[in-house]
Amino acid sequence: MNLATRKLTRIFIAAVLALSVVRGYAQDAKLQLSNLDKLSEKAARVTDVTLDGSLLQFAVNLIEKIDAEDKDVAQLQSIIKNLKGIYIKSFEFDEASQYSKADVDAIRSQLTSPRWSKIVQSVEKRRNEYDEIYLLRNGNRVDGVVILVAEAKELTVVNLVGEVPVDKVASLERHLSIGDKQSGKNKQKKENGHDQE
Amino acid sequence: MHFSEDDLREALKRKDPGEGFTQRTIARVNQARVNQAQVSQSKSESKPEPAKKNNGAFLVWWMHRPVWTIAVVAMLLLAFGIGGYQYSEYRHAVEMRLARQRQQQLQQEAERARDQAIMALEIARAKMNHVLQHAQLQAEPNDKIRRQRL
Repeated sequence: MNLATRKLTRIFIAAVLALSVVRGYAQDAKLQLSNLDKLSEKAARVTDVTLDGSLLQFAVNLIEKIDAEDKDVAQLQSIIKNLKGIYIKSFEFDEASQYSKADVDAIRSQLTSPRWSKIVQSVEKRRNEYDEIYLLRNGNRVDGVVILVAEAKELTVVNLVGEVPVDKVASLERHLSIGDKQSGKNKQKKENGHDQE
Repeated sequence: MHFSEDDLREALKRKDPGEGFTQRTIARVNQARVNQAQVSQSKSESKPEPAKKNNGAFLVWWMHRPVWTIAVVAMLLLAFGIGGYQYSEYRHAVEMRLARQRQQQLQQEAERARDQAIMALEIARAKMNHVLQHAQLQAEPNDKIRRQRL
């Protein structure tokens, strides 16, 4: 084996290792939420969002085409452009205690890695409410967010994968009306009292 | 072996063919013709040859009418040309329609994905604020108690 071949082999191995590390890092931010699927039968209202790969890219391309003069649209664009995946599972029940502690623990167990840090926790034991926000930190950058809302009649897991500007997500306008943006009027409809909270 | 001139002269001298030589010769020639005719008849009975006279007549008819020939060839060329053009136009229209359908389908998928992304971010924002609000509400009474103690 001559010198050039050795060098090429080393470069190839290094590239493969780097790729696998990057891939593993990206996969770390994505949680396995399939164990919650069984709750769909009991829930009165189910919201299941899985957006990644080409579908998310479609969405990003379309959102980027919207006139960015609108402040809210610009903010939306800045949030979504670096996202690699959006996964949401939300279950609302008519009665309390429809999901088990094991269901929630299966999510929490995926967040035990030291790279995940719990930044907010709100526990109300009398009302059986456990709300938590976790961040996957990479230096000063946030590469993943998990919002876990486990309440008596609700279980919601929001998993954002990719570079997430957390402050911008929290300060998004209450309602991002799609119809108005489509017609290019750039008039954001701000309906009060329709928030999900 | 050596032949003398006398031997050769003796061998090649004129001889009388005998009586009835002419009749015999004519009879043998006739017999040969009859045999040949029989052979050709038997061949024609075993393998009938295709009639070439008709084709030949057809070609001769066209060869004697060059204007007609040119007109028919021109018409055939025109018909094939128009047919080919129409077919290519039809294929193009079909391909364009399929491409439009694909484009529309992709556009619809993209719009659905965009709506879903916006909805997902709305949920993310709502839940994040919900958790932060709860955490803040929990922290507030503690602050009050702490301030009162101070």
